[in-house]
Amino acid sequence: MPLILIGVTLIIFSMIWALGPDRLLASYIKSPEALKTPDAAERLIKKYGLDEPMPVQYLKWLGNILQGDFGYSMVGKKGVLPAMLERFPYTLELTIYAIIPVILVAIWLGVVSAVHQNKFIDQFIRVFALVGWSLPDFVFGLLLLLVFYSLLGWFPPGMVNTQFDLIMRSAEWNKITSMPTIDALLNGRFDIFVDALRHLILPVMTLAYLWWAYLLRITRSSMLEVLRKDYIRTARAKGVPENIVIQKHAKKNAMIPVLTVAGGSVIGLLGGTVFVETIFSRVGMGRFLADAATLLDYWSIIGGALFFSFIMIVGNLVVDVSYALVDPRIRLE
Amino acid sequence: MDSKNALLQVKDLRTYFHTEDGIVKAVDGVTFDVYSGETLGIVGESGCGKSVTSLSVMRLLDEKGEIAGGKIIFEGRDVMAIPESQMMKIRGNDMAMIFQEPMTALNPVFTVGFQIMEAILLHQDVNKEQARTMAIDMLRKVGIPEPEKRVDEYPHELSGGMRQRAMIAMALSCNPKLLFADEPTTALDVTIQAQILELMKSLQEQYGMALVMITHDLGVIAEMAQRVVVMYAGKVVEYAEVLTLFKKPRHPYTWGLMNAIPKLDEDKEVLYNIPGVVPDPLDFPDGCRFNTRCPLATDKCRKEEPPLVEVEENHTSACWYVDKLVEMIKVSRAGEGA
Ligand SMILES: Nc1ncnc2c1ncn2[C@@H]1O[C@H](COP(=O)(O)OP(=O)(O)OP(=O)(O)O)[C@@H](O)[C@H]1O
Ligand SMILES: [Mg+2]
Repeated sequence: MPLILIGVTLIIFSMIWALGPDRLLASYIKSPEALKTPDAAERLIKKYGLDEPMPVQYLKWLGNILQGDFGYSMVGKKGVLPAMLERFPYTLELTIYAIIPVILVAIWLGVVSAVHQNKFIDQFIRVFALVGWSLPDFVFGLLLLLVFYSLLGWFPPGMVNTQFDLIMRSAEWNKITSMPTIDALLNGRFDIFVDALRHLILPVMTLAYLWWAYLLRITRSSMLEVLRKDYIRTARAKGVPENIVIQKHAKKNAMIPVLTVAGGSVIGLLGGTVFVETIFSRVGMGRFLADAATLLDYWSIIGGALFFSFIMIVGNLVVDVSYALVDPRIRLE
Repeated sequence: MDSKNALLQVKDLRTYFHTEDGIVKAVDGVTFDVYSGETLGIVGESGCGKSVTSLSVMRLLDEKGEIAGGKIIFEGRDVMAIPESQMMKIRGNDMAMIFQEPMTALNPVFTVGFQIMEAILLHQDVNKEQARTMAIDMLRKVGIPEPEKRVDEYPHELSGGMRQRAMIAMALSCNPKLLFADEPTTALDVTIQAQILELMKSLQEQYGMALVMITHDLGVIAEMAQRVVVMYAGKVVEYAEVLTLFKKPRHPYTWGLMNAIPKLDEDKEVLYNIPGVVPDPLDFPDGCRFNTRCPLATDKCRKEEPPLVEVEENHTSACWYVDKLVEMIKVSRAGEGA
């Protein structure tokens, strides 16, 4: 784990380094005034140590990162870290709302589909999954926006209505988690909660559909394989009722491959937030990165990359641990 | 014996699988009785329908499989007419089963103890603690050392032989009246095989249950069974008491099987192996199903199917040329100097 972190920071730093001193310098300068004198550029490069050898610069940079100094963000108009921390709760909220239906519904329907293999219900579920799997997710998002916003006007883009937005920015609003739906409940404003939820529905559906379809397919095929196993017959031969055979004996085994994919899907979902937040005009980490890319805001991009890598590493660790919990053949050292 | 007293009666059982390639007649007319306390052997090569026969009796066929004909009577009840909700109470409690592959027959994600306790809790009115004690007792009875420790281990932590013992413990935990052992020792090495057979024999005496021993190994039959059903291509071709069968085989297939047992005290390991393979159940030959491999086959065998008839008391065979076979055996045994 620490090794992976070092590897990741090294890779990211070499990207910074590859930019070269001149371009990096640009990100330190806040006005053209600074470059007035002819030798100003060289002086500043010296001052910030941009011409030092790579290892020295790397260690310096790493030291800054460890102290929470990720550089200045042009997009956030403040330090990169505070800018990201401010936006992260929104993305977290979106992801949580997307993950819960993905995992629960996909596994549930995957099992149903496998148990009723080739029956009508199975065919029906499979068609739905196939559509989700084959339709590019941004196309699906735009379609949703077209139907439910433009045509029906049910679910608007954005975060909350303007009037609620003002309340949420006011002083009496308790920012506890910074996630609109949860804070709304904690502040006792059910109307804001409903409104925030209404704004979440389309992005959540867009974000979830692809991974939902994917996880469903994995669950179904894994379940079909497990149901053919000898130990399932053993369970039936002992007189275990069929629903327990499926929900306990088969499902626990079938979850082993599903777990890896579920971990991957969390990471995939986070990646998906970049375009989902953009399409549905939401504030969040994904949108932050998209904006940073258009502005060539190096430090924001690097910060985002570090941030997502960190989440990915933690995500994989969680998958490994849950693997060991489900499968006794794997034991953590 | 009077079949009315039989614990299990199987009459002209036919089990077909509806597959994409057509109807697989895996079991196509099988009749036998099993009495309390005895061991019935069912022997035949791979693919003869031995497993499907036992799965049919326990009603554990997959959805492609269908009992297309015949009768199964267990303790006087028509098994095919028992509703699934009651069948669940019979399985594991009155009838139990041990499978061939101890590696795959136990669930890898549950402890051995859990899997035994589950059967006990399903069928007996005991609490978890009592069930656990019973599971440990069972493990001890099947000869697993340190049962208090093993009970919390997972299948992958046990050797093949230990796993099969755990399977046996599970099957016997509810004291069944009938136990199907489907090639319980095939996957084990020879010394372990002998131990497991010995164990099953002594447990059978202790519990007084009926045992149906399914195998392709006549050696196991000789060791364990009192009566024997020989199956070939979904049919019973010969039935006899065990000594009679070995002394006076009355079907060329049985004779072939007997000669295929390696005799270690002789130079030639295998005297006469049955040539060819079991026919494809999608496409059985006309007439006698053994005609493609039988040294005695004639045109009659290729056209007409021989019925299963009594050749003497308690001994039946389905062959047109029992006389010729008797002659052949005589010559062969004389040649051996036996
Ligand atoms: N679920 C199934 N679907 C289709 N065909 C099946 C199924 N189960 C068994 N069969 C077929 O039925 C025939 C008999 O199979 P069975 O398993 O009873 O043989 P067996 O005598 O037990 O052989 P073995 O010694 O290999 O266990 C085989 O040809 C097999 O292909
Ligand atoms: Mg078999």
